[in-house]
Amino acid sequence: MTIKRMAFVQELLKFMGLEGRLHLEWISSAEAQKYVEVVTRFTEKIREMGPNPLRAMTQEVR
Amino acid sequence: MDIINEARQLLVQEKVDIFLGYRELDGHLIPHGYTRDNLDELEGLCVSQNRYPLEKTATHLAKKDPDLKIGLVARDCNQRTLNVLYTWNQLDPEHIKTIGVNCCPSPFKDHGDCTYLAPKTTGEYKKEHGIDFNAAPDLLLDSMTNPERFSRWMYEFNKCLKCYGCRNICPVCFCRECSLEHEGLIEPGALPAEVPIFHLVRATHMAGRCIDCGLCEDACPAHIPLRLLYREANEIVSGIFDFQPGMGVEKSPFSIIGDKIEAELKPLDA
Repeated sequence: MTIKRMAFVQELLKFMGLEGRLHLEWISSAEAQKYVEVVTRFTEKIREMGPNPLRAMTQEVR
Repeated sequence: MDIINEARQLLVQEKVDIFLGYRELDGHLIPHGYTRDNLDELEGLCVSQNRYPLEKTATHLAKKDPDLKIGLVARDCNQRTLNVLYTWNQLDPEHIKTIGVNCCPSPFKDHGDCTYLAPKTTGEYKKEHGIDFNAAPDLLLDSMTNPERFSRWMYEFNKCLKCYGCRNICPVCFCRECSLEHEGLIEPGALPAEVPIFHLVRATHMAGRCIDCGLCEDACPAHIPLRLLYREANEIVSGIFDFQPGMGVEKSPFSIIGDKIEAELKPLDA
């Protein structure tokens, strides 16, 4: 069910113009190495994309 | 046989207890429930381009009295809705009788499905700053970059008056408790309505459920292209799960827990 929902939300966010800011990965508690690798890569990816435009927008309003 | 006689027979033969159709009031057709006690009223039963979610009324009636037998006039979109309501156990197909009527007339097709209805006119300002009602979802995806799509949708959502009209008219919205009224999710009294959460929550709930009747967009006083948004939501669903809401009594992919699917995780670098 999770993978179904995530696959859907990823596509919906793409339609909204927020592509690539959501990621799903199965990582077991025994896979510390994988956890570090995935989180690092995702962080780098997000940093490259820059801050979420949504945040800038809500701050503008309030 | 015309619909008046058909409806009368259903009532007289006790196949239905109430028949939902339309009657004219001040030149506009409004929904009306015809019963055995007022058979004379049936003379006023008619249909036109005016549409209301009669199935929603049926759902409310069935909630009060699950054994009530309900008849209603049904276009294509009503039939699709009924299928959705059957699969979600909101209505019992045994208790529902429909009389098929022609779909909304359209310049493209005499008995056209509503998807073929005359396109809504999109004003110059909206064309420049907003989202064209008649744009196809994939066209929007192909012709605009991510930041462009983002600002367009934010422009549309910011117009929301939070009237809840889209939810109230929606024939497949039936939850007893609505997330859109949850204080923790949507701040009460705040305008515009929690952009974009309000609209994305609704879009998510429309996945695998919306039958593209377009009533939400007709009802929206702020002219937000909701139909386009929900249409894309369901194009995603049919793309990933090969599921079309309302086409049969198959269950939505989001209502089945624990079934095996072939989906793969999206790679991080995509």
